Amino acid sequence: MSRYDAIVIGARCAGASTGMLLARQGHRVLVLDRSSFPSDVISTHFLWPHGTSYLNRWGLLDQVLAVTPSHTEVTFVNDGIPLTGSVPDELLRAYFRDWHGDDSGVVRTYASVRRHVLDQMLVEAASKAGAEVRTNFTVRELITEGDQVVGVRGRDSDGQLVEERARIVIGADGRNSFVARTLGLPKFDERPRCTFAYWSYYSGFDLGPAQLHRRGRLACAVAPTNHDQNMVLVWGPSEWSREFRRDVSGNFQRALDFVSPELGEVVRTQGVRAERVYGTLDQSAFLRPLAGPGWVLVGDAESAKDQCTAIGMTHAFRGAELVADALGRWFSGDVSLEAAMASYEGRRRSQNAAAYYDYVCTLAEMRPYRHDELQLFVALRGNQQEIDRFVATHADVAPVSEFFQASNLLLLNDAAKETSAGYPVFEDYPATARMYQQNLFA
Amino acid sequence: MSLPELDQRDDDELIGTILAAAGRQDREAMAAAAAEVSEMTRNWATHIPWDEFDSLDETALNEVVADLTQMWEPVDLQVDADEEYALDKNAYDFYRPAGRNLMTRTEEFHGWVEARRRTETWQYSRTLEAAPNSIAQITNDIGRRTRGINFNSQDYLSFNTHPAIREAATKAMRDYGPHSAGSPMVLGNTRISDELEASLGELVRAEQVTLFPTGWAAGFGAMAGLVRQEDHVLIDRLAHSCLQQGARATTRNVVRYEHLNVEAVRRHLVDIRRRDSRNGILVVTDGLFSVDADWPDLVTLQRVCREHDATLLVDVAHDLGSMGPGGTGVLGLQEVLGDIDIVMGAFSKTFCSNGGFVASASPALKQYLKMFGGSHFFSNALSPVQTAVVLEASKIIRSAEGDLLRSRLRTAVTALRDELTGHGLTCMGEPSPIVPLLIGNEKLARIANRLLFDRGVLAFMVEFPVTPTGSSRFRLQVQANHEPEEARAAARIIADAITDARTYLSSAFGSTER
Repeated sequence: MSRYDAIVIGARCAGASTGMLLARQGHRVLVLDRSSFPSDVISTHFLWPHGTSYLNRWGLLDQVLAVTPSHTEVTFVNDGIPLTGSVPDELLRAYFRDWHGDDSGVVRTYASVRRHVLDQMLVEAASKAGAEVRTNFTVRELITEGDQVVGVRGRDSDGQLVEERARIVIGADGRNSFVARTLGLPKFDERPRCTFAYWSYYSGFDLGPAQLHRRGRLACAVAPTNHDQNMVLVWGPSEWSREFRRDVSGNFQRALDFVSPELGEVVRTQGVRAERVYGTLDQSAFLRPLAGPGWVLVGDAESAKDQCTAIGMTHAFRGAELVADALGRWFSGDVSLEAAMASYEGRRRSQNAAAYYDYVCTLAEMRPYRHDELQLFVALRGNQQEIDRFVATHADVAPVSEFFQASNLLLLNDAAKETSAGYPVFEDYPATARMYQQNLFA
Repeated sequence: MSLPELDQRDDDELIGTILAAAGRQDREAMAAAAAEVSEMTRNWATHIPWDEFDSLDETALNEVVADLTQMWEPVDLQVDADEEYALDKNAYDFYRPAGRNLMTRTEEFHGWVEARRRTETWQYSRTLEAAPNSIAQITNDIGRRTRGINFNSQDYLSFNTHPAIREAATKAMRDYGPHSAGSPMVLGNTRISDELEASLGELVRAEQVTLFPTGWAAGFGAMAGLVRQEDHVLIDRLAHSCLQQGARATTRNVVRYEHLNVEAVRRHLVDIRRRDSRNGILVVTDGLFSVDADWPDLVTLQRVCREHDATLLVDVAHDLGSMGPGGTGVLGLQEVLGDIDIVMGAFSKTFCSNGGFVASASPALKQYLKMFGGSHFFSNALSPVQTAVVLEASKIIRSAEGDLLRSRLRTAVTALRDELTGHGLTCMGEPSPIVPLLIGNEKLARIANRLLFDRGVLAFMVEFPVTPTGSSRFRLQVQANHEPEEARAAARIIADAITDARTYLSSAFGSTER
C-alpha cells in the first residue's frame, strides 16, 4: 500500500487548495512544488467574489484581507460608456448551490492579491491541514506500471533523488504542466488568438475600486493590490505584440493614454513604478483530458484561458473543491474512480463551461466592440439589476446563456433609459471602427 | 523572496537575448540572461530548464528554442478566416447596426450570412422539391439537393398526404375559389369558417373562437387586443416569439419568469398586486414548448392566476391535435379543458395549414379581440381552402383514426428517443412530437448540421436567438408516417455526425447542461 492517497504536483492556487481540502478530509496527501515560498508567478492575481468566497469557505479570507485591499463595485468603461456594478449576493448563492450543493461562506468582495502573498498562505494552510508539503522539490519523472501512473520521482531540496507513490497523482502544475507534457496529453478546443498583456506595480495614487477600460482593440485595468500599490495592466490582440514589444515601457504608456487618457495621466504624473514591466503572450486557450489511469488534472493544467476576464485563480479554486470532493468520495469507497472522474468531467466540460470558454476566447481576440455591443452597454446604463447580472456573467458567476438570451436582450433594449446621443464613439462610428483597426504601435 | 528590482531588464529583452544567444550556440550567454529573468516568468514557464542552459545538449537546446519561441512570438494563425467568422458570430451580434441609412446598414449582417452560406453552415431557407413526408427531397440555400429522413416538417399526423385532407382542399377550391377576398370583419368568411370555429370550440371546450390568418397573428393579436400600456405581462422566458413580441409591443411592464416556474409566477403576482390593484395582468405560457418539449403545471398556474386577478393565456400550437386524449393536447392531459381563461393555437403544425385561433368562454372577449386585435380585422381572412383543410383536420383529430395516428406517432417518437439516448445523447423534455436533441455549443451544432445534410437526415438546427447562447440543439419533428426503423436509422446517422463534428473541431466539451 502506498504511503499516500494522493500526490499533488504544484502547490499554488489549484494544488495547495486541493491538497488542503483532501488533507482536511483526513486523507494522506503529499504536495510538491519546485519553488520555495513566498514565490511569485505570472498572474492577474485577481479574485472575483466567488474566488474570495472560496477562501472564506476554507477559513483563509480574513488572513488574506488583513494585508489586501478589497472592494465590491467594479467599473467597466467601454469606449467611453461607463458601467459600475457588483456581483449580486443572490447570484453568488445560486452559483455555490449549483456547483457545490451549499452556499456557505459567500462574500461579495473581490480582491487583487499578489501571488507571493497568497500562495504562501495556501501552502501554509495545506500544511496546517495535515498535508505534507515539500518545496524546492523538482519532479523529474512519473512512475508508471503499465499505463497506470503510480507515483513520482524527483529531486528534493537537498538534491537527493526521491521516489514517492500514491493512489492518484494530481497535476496542478499550470498551463505548461509537467504531468500533461510527460503523459503526452493532447490539447482540445485550441484557440490560438489571445491577448498580449503587460503590467507593473505603482504606488503614488489611490483610485479606489478596480477599473477596466476598453477602447478599440486595446484595454487597460487598474486594481489596488498589496503593499499599497496598484497593478496597472494593458492588453491587446496578439497580432500587435511584436510591434508593442519594440518599446515596452513607451508603448505601455501609449496604450494607457489611448484607452483611458485620464488613467494615463494619473499613471504618468503620480505613479511611481516599483518593479520592472512584466509581460506574456503565452495565453492561448485549450483544454486537456481531465483524468486517466492514476492521474487527474486541475486548474490551468486542464483548461487554460486568456487573462482578459481574470478568472484563472477563481476557476482553480472551483476545480480544487470539485476534484477534492470527487476524489474524497472515491477514497471513502462511495464510488469508483471512474464514476468520480466522470462527475468531475461532467461539470468541467458542460454546456455552460463551453459557453463561458467561448465568451472568454472571443473577448480575447480583442476585436473592437461592434456598434450593437456598444449600444447594449448604453442600454444597460441606469439598469442596475442588469448591469450587476452582466458583471456576474463576465465573471462566470451566472451562466452566459441567462444574460445573452434573445428575449432578455430585447427587454434590455426596451428598458433603455439613455440613448447613444451622449457618447462620441457613435458620432462617426464607421470612421472610428476603421481607425481602431490600425495598429497603434506600428 | 527578494522583490524584483525596478532597474532589472524586462523579460522581453532577456528572452530576446536568450534566443539570439541560442542561435550562436552561446550557452553561457543564455545562462547569464536566464538568471536575470523574473521569478514570475520562470515559475510560469516551468517547462523551460532555466537553470540548466549552460549544459544543454543539442536536442535540449533546440527544444528550449522551440518552447521559448512558441511562448514569445505571435502564434501562427492558421485558421480559415471565413469559417471562423461564420462559426464565431451569432445573429444577435447584428441586431443594432450602425449608421443612419436604414438600407445600407444591413450590409454587415448580409456579409456574415454569406460567410455562413459559403461554409455551408447556414441552416435556414431550405426549400422542398416535393410534398414533405417521412422522407423529403430538398434544396439548400446554395442550390445543393439532398434527400433524407425528414424531421424538418411540422406535420405531426402526416395530414399533408392524407386523401381526405386533399379532397377537402379540392372541394373548397371548387366551391369558393382560392381567394377569401376580404377581412373576416367584412366579407372574408364563408359558411365553413363558422363550422371551423364551432369544431375548434368543441375540441378545446372554449366555444368562443376567433380565427386569425397565421398562428403568429393570433398570439400577437390576442396580446395587442387585450393588454394596455399600464397593464402587466408575466411571460415564460421561452414562450413563443409572437407572444414575446406581443408583450414588448403592448406594455413596458413585462416580467420574463423562469421557464415553467409557477412559484416564480406567484411571487411576481403578489409583488405586482402589492403595487398595483388597478390594472390587468396577463400571464402567458406555451402548452408544449417547441424547443424544450416540456409543459407547465397548468392546474396550479390557472389557480394562482385567479387568486391574483390575473388572466392566463396558453399557446397550444404544438400539442393540440398531436397528443393528449382525443387530440386535446396538454390541456386534455392535465384535465383542464374548459378551465383555461384564454387558449391560443396555430394550424401550422398538426392542422396542416396556415392560420391560428384564440378561444375562450367569453363572447365579449371574442368581439373585443376581433375589433382590437389588429391582425384579425386588418388581414385578409383565411382562404376557403385553408379553412376547409383545418376543418377536415379537426374532424380527423377527434375521430378514432386520430387516435390511431397519435399512437403511431408515439411509437416513432419512442423509437427515436430510445435510440438517441442509447448513443449517449441527451433528448430534452417529455415524449412529444418534438424531440429536442441537445448539442450545446453552436460551432459543434453548425458543423454537425453541415455533415447531416449529405447523410440522409433532414433536421433543423436551432440556435440563438431561438435558444439561449450555448444551448443549441436539433429540433426533430416526428410524424405519424415515420416508421420506427426509419427513426432508429436516423438516430444512428445523427449520432455519427455529432461524433464526427466533435472530431473535426477537436472539442472536448460534452453536452451536459452545467
